[in-house]
Amino acid sequence: MIEIKNVTKKYGDKLAVDNVSFNVEDGEIFAFIGHNGAGKTTLIKSMVGIHDFDSGDILIDGMSIKDNPVECKKLMAFVPDSPETYEHMRAIDYINFICDMYDIDTETRERNIKKYSKLFDMEDKLTDTIESYSHGMKQKIVLISALCHNPRILIMDEPFVGLDPKAVFDIKEVLNEMIKEKKIVFYSTHILDVAEKLCSKVAIIKNGKLVKSGDMKKIKGDKSLEKVFMELEK
Amino acid sequence: MKKLISLIKACMTSDMNLFKIKTKNKKFSILLPIILAIYLMFTIGASSYQMFEKLAPLHLEYIILSLFIFGTFFITLTEGVYKASSLIFNCKDDNLLLSLPIKRRTVLFVRIFKFYIFELLFNSIFMLPAMVVYVIFIKSISVTYIILSIIMLLTLPIIPIIISCFIGAITSSLSSKFKYKNLVEIITAIVLLLFIFALSFKMSDFIKHLAKNATSLNDLITKIYYPAGVYVKLIAEFNIIDLLIYILVNIILCIISIYVLSKFYFKINSRLKSVGTTNKVNVSNLTIRSKSKTKSLVKKELNTFFKTPVFIVNSGFGLIMFMIFVFALVFKFDSLIPFVTNKETGLGISKDLIMNNLSILILALILITGYMTSITNSVISLEGRSINILKSLPVKVETILMSKIYACLIITTPILLIGNIILFIKFKISIIESILLLLLLVLVPLVSHFIGILVNLRYPKLDADNATEIVKQSTSSLVSVMLGIIFAIINIGIIYAAINHISSILLLIIEVIVYIIIDIILYLCLINKGTKRFNKLSV
Repeated sequence: MIEIKNVTKKYGDKLAVDNVSFNVEDGEIFAFIGHNGAGKTTLIKSMVGIHDFDSGDILIDGMSIKDNPVECKKLMAFVPDSPETYEHMRAIDYINFICDMYDIDTETRERNIKKYSKLFDMEDKLTDTIESYSHGMKQKIVLISALCHNPRILIMDEPFVGLDPKAVFDIKEVLNEMIKEKKIVFYSTHILDVAEKLCSKVAIIKNGKLVKSGDMKKIKGDKSLEKVFMELEK
Repeated sequence: MKKLISLIKACMTSDMNLFKIKTKNKKFSILLPIILAIYLMFTIGASSYQMFEKLAPLHLEYIILSLFIFGTFFITLTEGVYKASSLIFNCKDDNLLLSLPIKRRTVLFVRIFKFYIFELLFNSIFMLPAMVVYVIFIKSISVTYIILSIIMLLTLPIIPIIISCFIGAITSSLSSKFKYKNLVEIITAIVLLLFIFALSFKMSDFIKHLAKNATSLNDLITKIYYPAGVYVKLIAEFNIIDLLIYILVNIILCIISIYVLSKFYFKINSRLKSVGTTNKVNVSNLTIRSKSKTKSLVKKELNTFFKTPVFIVNSGFGLIMFMIFVFALVFKFDSLIPFVTNKETGLGISKDLIMNNLSILILALILITGYMTSITNSVISLEGRSINILKSLPVKVETILMSKIYACLIITTPILLIGNIILFIKFKISIIESILLLLLLVLVPLVSHFIGILVNLRYPKLDADNATEIVKQSTSSLVSVMLGIIFAIINIGIIYAAINHISSILLLIIEVIVYIIIDIILYLCLINKGTKRFNKLSV
């Protein structure tokens, strides 16, 4: 379970995240939506331990990310908005590097690397250096390395950007599989129709403040998520 | 023109961020590099003062100015040859700039202008003290001298930068044709540097005879190097026509060079960007092995090092020079002795003192190499945006930072070890002294690595356009190199003062103990302050 408790983050005098609180339960796919610069990435980076925050707390399975960053991170995988990797590395070395950081045994990683590289059509491209890849291929490598260590919580920032339609379809299948296993998927997106179909919960952030949070069905009612979002943006 | 100014402003913004003081902490951060730059200028001023003192009675002060101009040209050229290719070609903002409706020539001009601004600052550190000391000796200052000096200061980097840019274009063009571009780039840069270095050794023959043949040396420099000749001539006898010709020559040189370079620029840049793919190997045929976190992090660091040519050349050059000195000591020991013993041209240290303390000579070599090879001053900045990967991983910050130190030790230790063993055999160093020196060859670079990483954590540059900006032009590299020089000077000074009073073994034991203490203090500093700074890094 992820508990966001009154989290506030400032950049100088500017409030990027303003007293935000919500929970994400096990077995939920949670969509986090908001306009550009609303504070989505800041909150996500705080959740995965990249950013410090000024007040409040973020609990991962009851552990504070501030007090137990390493233990919390062991449970999570993070897919950033732009595929940040070590460009000079071969893809296979990068995935192995990430697996080493999560202490994944050889057998498990071998199985998962094969499984996910086949799923994303990357099985014969892993010996190339990442710098030779297109944006979408880099994103696939980030996804493979995130999924390879069987994370209990998958946190993604705009994961579908740059992916081809087949990869988008495949990743949705993977996310559904994770939910069946009572894992957590939390992601930010601007593709509202995908979020509407895929996610059970949603949170909408505007200018750093949480304006709506809860069950997808309750929040949107008879309307589309896009319409609800546009009304809140007015 | 408006477009050009906007472009220059945009390209310079990230580099000049340091100078936009906003917080108290920033004010403190900017103080250290300024103090160090002033210290360096003061040292250069003091050295030039001594040179002026010798030449003033002969009324030959102007020779020092031409020497400094030539020296600055040489330093800028040495720096420039391996900086140019990465500062001008294959930059991070290529996609943005080359897609804008501006001429490629303009993009090239902006890149060269950025290069020029940094070299101008760098040159000023050397030239300004000499110009000021000249005024002190002449005891008069004219408006003409001030105007001439300003023009000279502004135009001095132009020629070495143009030469560097052409050499950079040739090396980039050459490396772009090969599969292993980085390797070709590294080899060419090292060969070029060694060539310039060998040339400077030849130049030292002239400098040695400075006092005796001052006028002929000046004639030589002013004939070889046009700016030096013009400056000295105009100081002695001002002539507006000569000055205008000089300015015009520089402007025409710039225009022609940019025009010629822009003809090849796009082609070379495109070729450099094409990254080859390997033969397709299916994942089933790959051997997958797991490693410990530290081993894996160290491997990643070494990968970054060996895939960044400017990083290798910059840090590897000190190690290459170390090996050259080792072989020089082995094969040319007797001819090297006068350099140290001669009171006029050398350091004036007695031959007996050296012969009785050969282990201390090796220690001095370790100190110089250790402090000059500051690899860690770029390791944080080189992470760039990928710093977020490290920060999101379930690894202690301490492990991440220490893995960077281990990787640097892996790079420096083997070379220092081989060099030391060769010297132990040549000079028949006792076992106790050898053991102590072996300890020091790890302990001394360790101090340098700790300082480097701590300085880089204080002055990170995570948004650089290319590795050269980080390795060669960042505040972090300037501060850590300066601190290294200061540490080395202090340590060698203490050794020099103590060697006549205590035995070399005792001195080595004290050095080992002191360095263990310094390493522990710096380690604790890294674990406490360094970790906090790392956690605050954000892109």
